[in-house]
Amino acid sequence: MTRSEAVRLVAALGAVEMALVRRDPVAGPLLAQAARAAAGLPPGPYVSAAAALARAVELHGPGPGAAAARKAAQALCRAAAQAAQGAALA
Amino acid sequence: MTRVWGEDAAALVAAGADAAALAALEDGLLDGFALPAGPRWDAHTHLGRDADGHALDTAGLVADMDRWGVAGAVAFPANEPGDDGSFTVANDAVLAAAAAHPGRIVPVCRADPRAGWAAAVDRAAAGGARGLKLHPVAQGFAPESPECVACVAAATALGWPVLFHAGFGARRLAGPFRDLAAAVPGARLILAHGARGDARAVREAFAGHPGVWFDTSLAALPDLVELPPGRLVWGSDRPYGEHGTALQLVALAARVAGWSPSEVAGVLGGNLLALLGEPA
Repeated sequence: MTRSEAVRLVAALGAVEMALVRRDPVAGPLLAQAARAAAGLPPGPYVSAAAALARAVELHGPGPGAAAARKAAQALCRAAAQAAQGAALA
Repeated sequence: MTRVWGEDAAALVAAGADAAALAALEDGLLDGFALPAGPRWDAHTHLGRDADGHALDTAGLVADMDRWGVAGAVAFPANEPGDDGSFTVANDAVLAAAAAHPGRIVPVCRADPRAGWAAAVDRAAAGGARGLKLHPVAQGFAPESPECVACVAAATALGWPVLFHAGFGARRLAGPFRDLAAAVPGARLILAHGARGDARAVREAFAGHPGVWFDTSLAALPDLVELPPGRLVWGSDRPYGEHGTALQLVALAARVAGWSPSEVAGVLGGNLLALLGEPA
């Protein structure tokens, strides 16, 4: 992963995290965008899985399923962001 | 309950997620890293049900610890102060959890410096609490305020470390914590989340300060790698965070900053055990 790829991904994931925390419906589209930024990179599977969650579950919706999916998506994005930051700092 | 990425796998499946695929990804989180074998101690977990809906019970915490090879955890209440704001019921619940799991859960009480903290601290101390957690954002007080200084001084007199939320929040942190540390000589302060709420200024204010540590829970990697590993204690912030990415964060920081295996072992447990006065 190049430094610019890592920085681009970290920026995209920062927007996703805020949308997830705020239960904003824009989280799904932002995740799809982040997944494109991550495609083919080491953190790609994490972001792809989070984007898949957003397609399967209405992340901003009510109920325990949506809450669990929202938190799991956050954790997946955290894993991806940390990996990208590690690449940028290496 | 089986958890995936910190969440109930059954709830994820019921919502339409592929929990098996998520679990496989999680299982590979630490591939390629060689974390040392020393004991893992989590400095930052919450028990109970937060007003915002986050919840973790004792059995869930212990199950998480077992899954990730975590020997012990400091636990304190979620943000559930009760009607009188004193956290008495929540503190009692944490003390009961620790009594049920001696040697694995270290009870730390929570208080609001503006609401009945003295009685709450006395009660928790009598029940075996080992430290104090304060949350300036959730409880709406300033770390340098006279009531907070008094609360920290009381905890320090008991020999307790005091863990402060130092993540998300609008206020600056460096000046207030510098004032607090000066007002309570001998205080041992743990700034949570790598003090990411004001990381650069806090790092400059406390470089080499003997009374300040940082926990790694939900911290930012660029902040951690600029802090001395001897001042870091690993944390997960369960149930807000989870253990997998918490360990990944330390593994990445060690790689980027070039920490030695013994330094990593200190971050993952030794530093906290020393703070708590526990044998390593």
